[in-house]
Amino acid sequence: MVCVGFRELLDRSSRESVNSAESAESAAVVESADSASSADRSTDEHPATKGPPDSASPLSSRVRTWLERHALALTALCTAAVLVVMLYVPTGIVFVNAVLENGRPTLAHIAGVLTDPFYVGVLADVFADPLAIGAHLRSLTGWVSAISVSLTVAFSVPIPAVDVTVPIPWFALSVPPVRQGLFGFTAVQAALSTVASVAIGLPAAYILANYEFYGRRTLRSLTILPFVLPGIMVAVGFYAMFGRTGTLNSVLGAAGIGPFAFIETSPLAVVILAHAFYNAPLVARVTVAAWESVDVRAVETARSLGASKRRAFRDIVVPQLAPAVLTGALLTFIFTFMTFPIVLALGGLQLATVEVWIYDRIQNLDYADAATLAVLETLLSLGLTYAYLRYESARSGLSQAASAPPTEPLFPDLRTALSPRRLAIAGYGLLALVLFVGPIASLVVGSVTDGGGFTLRNYAFLLERQLAGEQYQALPWPAIRNSILFGLATLAIAVPMGVVISVLTVRAGRSGTLVDTLAMLPLAVSGVVFGIGLLQGLVFGLPLPGGWRLQVTGPIAIIVAHAVAAYPFVTRNVSPLLVNLNSAMVESARALGASRFRALLDIELPLVASGIVAGAAFAFAISIGEFSSTVILASGNGSYTMPVAVERYLGRRSGPAIAMGTLLLAVTAASFVVIDRVGGRYEL
Amino acid sequence: MTTLRLSGVSKRYGGSGGSADTAADAGAKAEAGTVALQDVDLTVNDGEFFTLVGPSGCGKTTTLRIIAGFEEPTAGSVTFDGESMAGVPPERRNVGVVFQSYALFPHMTVAENVGYGLRFRTPPAGTTVDERVTELLELVDLAGYGDRSPDQLSGGQRQRVALARALAPAPDLLLLDEPMSALDARLRETLRRQLARIQTELDITTVYVTHDQAEALAISDRLAVMRNGRVEQVGRPQRLYREPETRFVAEFVGDNNVFEGAVVDRIGTGDEGEGRASVAVPDGTRGTAATFELAGVPPNATRLGFCVRPGELSQTASQNRFQVSVETTEFLGESVRVHGRWNKMPIVLRLPAVPETGTDITVGFDPGDAHLFEAD
Repeated sequence: MVCVGFRELLDRSSRESVNSAESAESAAVVESADSASSADRSTDEHPATKGPPDSASPLSSRVRTWLERHALALTALCTAAVLVVMLYVPTGIVFVNAVLENGRPTLAHIAGVLTDPFYVGVLADVFADPLAIGAHLRSLTGWVSAISVSLTVAFSVPIPAVDVTVPIPWFALSVPPVRQGLFGFTAVQAALSTVASVAIGLPAAYILANYEFYGRRTLRSLTILPFVLPGIMVAVGFYAMFGRTGTLNSVLGAAGIGPFAFIETSPLAVVILAHAFYNAPLVARVTVAAWESVDVRAVETARSLGASKRRAFRDIVVPQLAPAVLTGALLTFIFTFMTFPIVLALGGLQLATVEVWIYDRIQNLDYADAATLAVLETLLSLGLTYAYLRYESARSGLSQAASAPPTEPLFPDLRTALSPRRLAIAGYGLLALVLFVGPIASLVVGSVTDGGGFTLRNYAFLLERQLAGEQYQALPWPAIRNSILFGLATLAIAVPMGVVISVLTVRAGRSGTLVDTLAMLPLAVSGVVFGIGLLQGLVFGLPLPGGWRLQVTGPIAIIVAHAVAAYPFVTRNVSPLLVNLNSAMVESARALGASRFRALLDIELPLVASGIVAGAAFAFAISIGEFSSTVILASGNGSYTMPVAVERYLGRRSGPAIAMGTLLLAVTAASFVVIDRVGGRYEL
Repeated sequence: MTTLRLSGVSKRYGGSGGSADTAADAGAKAEAGTVALQDVDLTVNDGEFFTLVGPSGCGKTTTLRIIAGFEEPTAGSVTFDGESMAGVPPERRNVGVVFQSYALFPHMTVAENVGYGLRFRTPPAGTTVDERVTELLELVDLAGYGDRSPDQLSGGQRQRVALARALAPAPDLLLLDEPMSALDARLRETLRRQLARIQTELDITTVYVTHDQAEALAISDRLAVMRNGRVEQVGRPQRLYREPETRFVAEFVGDNNVFEGAVVDRIGTGDEGEGRASVAVPDGTRGTAATFELAGVPPNATRLGFCVRPGELSQTASQNRFQVSVETTEFLGESVRVHGRWNKMPIVLRLPAVPETGTDITVGFDPGDAHLFEAD
């Protein structure tokens, strides 16, 4: 029953926002009618501006006026309610599991994890006995003294079939092994992924910011695309590209080399590449934005003061790029620290990160361990997120450049095309092609080929499954329909939530950072943790006083979970535009008689429309691609989505999953094309 | 129309009760310090053109924002015609505001901008919204510009649209926050005259904020000079120019030569000699000083400040003579403004002819031409 109660609450919140918009109109009409009847009032008294409407005016109009005046507060209240019920309570439940044993508070679980070398590696000793500083220092010095560096001249390049030894001077660094533990490994893979993402992203930023070529702008806006691609789909794409029968092996096989078992022999490398696929475009994106906002006149001033080109770059441009690169790196680290579908699909349990292990613990019904790990993981990522937001707000004062640096043609003529720099760019382009276009293209190609020949068998399988599938099997059409419906419903909730939070935090100034962090919790809470919380808290139901139960299940739980995961992207897209909006604009509207809410509707929202559209695109894409919490919430009923279907088809043969992944790609891409036509400006 | 009164208005930032409306403001003001306004008392009479003038950070814009209702004072009260404005949000105060940035709504046409306030307030009796918009656009000489978009207008035109928009709902009060400072000097003068004409025509109580003292003197019925969150002096332009009450006002309003010194000797008795005294004035170097004879010195004064306007220093005056070395000259047409030094102290003169740069000239002033005020 309480499920209905919650539904009602949701209903009311959406009704309210509609009502208040209406009431703004009707209140104005009522007031003008009011003043027309009393035209004989003294001219210096303006009827519409004085106090509430006369007591004679109908009750409904007074209610409307009241609603309009408090619309912002009401929407904020609804947002807070949704956040509390769908975000804070579920994560709270997970966290409570970590510190409760049979109803009694205990720190035993956390202490257990922190002192278990399996989880924290060498740090277990430190946590077990933090005061034995001498012993810890001794083991540290012992480890440092065991590091040896040696120089060798020969380094054999392992090219099979050729088998030559090329003499290359090579530093051999021998480091004694360190037990990393689960957290250590997660951090190391996140750090390696971050390094890889920055290393691959920076050249792209350099090219995009400094060269002019056909399709530059398109490419620049395409850098947002990998970010919204569903993780499960990218994993399948990497299988199609780097797998034993993948595209890369086909290409190499045509050249007489291989085949290599990339994924089986070096799963970590492939996982890191997949992370780079996601995050290198992000790094490139923020860096290009910073690069384009460098005022070229500052560089010219430095040159005229005697700095060489290189020196001016180092002294003027680099300091302005560094914060952006750091932002990108920090976000990459946060995202890859909590990585789940990629590692699960490409690495399996042998490469378990914290997130994967949490998932595994849950599968084994070991909730206490899962919750404890979730608490520690969330604390780490929340700290990082807070640092990122603090850093971002400190940087928000940077203004847009008056004159952006000039770009030069990438390949003006044949001679320059063969210069070392242009060749390096071409080489990088080839690498980018393999890394970014490869998996997606392989996915599409893989869905219509079978061992070398064209086939529609995979799609036929989907069709057959749709027509003749059993009740318990995942059918393609319901998955597509659910994905689109859930995506649209997510929009309807996430966009108002995100906008309200933007409005509130932008106006809160610096004190808004903490609010911002709380509101950005979905970024820091992993999908798996969130999913468990929803499952344990809302799907199983929470007892309320008076014999009621708070229970949210099925599609509603999934939609709200998607909305909660998606609204931060609305906020992140709307907030910068709102900050840049001249505050005198809203003040002018208010001085002219508009209420705060009316000024929001009339002035602010139309002017930040592009940000809202872009945020909506993200929200839709996040909903379409969301896997972690959906796979938990969709278990045992019919409300599965396309990514869940992909995972379910991923069983014996990869063909159907690849075909389903291609459909998923098509839907995601189509939504972005639609949004792009409407005219969004993507920001992250 | 409306009489505006501020009594004991103070504004503190960072403490409790401060409601920062915008992030930018909150940041800027939290850094600038805690007290923005201290005990401001002002009365703006019905139909008056009143100006708040002072250097940046003096609190003039904060005062305007408190009047408009964008910020609430920490202490004190604001009343319109005796009615307290405490807790009344800006949209219910019936004020028209023009900002320095104009803040035109870029997604609306000129006519939609001007008509925006009429969505909430009815146009004055006997006119429709469209008629009112046309009327206001005619008033600011922009008839026929209604369908344009704000970004197709020049700076001066935008400023006039902002004025028309503020005036369209027939506000009780017109508030202008440095509306001319983004315009070039010549345009500013034209618009200033236009604004003065419209203000007189509508007889609307107007509060104008500017940092430009010349503009303030030219346009106002009365003005208040503000400094560090306090009102230094309120009065008509002529009075502030001729009889500044503090050293700050003397230096801020118009070109001036401000001296400060100790009373060393009382001269004369009886009606004629009343208040005549010798005052020792340092000339910027240590030790050396000149002694000037002044009139109207209060009987118990031991130290005092006084100022002599450039035009009152003349080469022909017989008293209080001192030597000025000419440093730069500015030809102004009918006269020449001369910047020079009396030893170390900068002196500004207004002479009929251009003196040679680097030469010394001797000037003096009549005891009655110096205006006296209390020393700091």
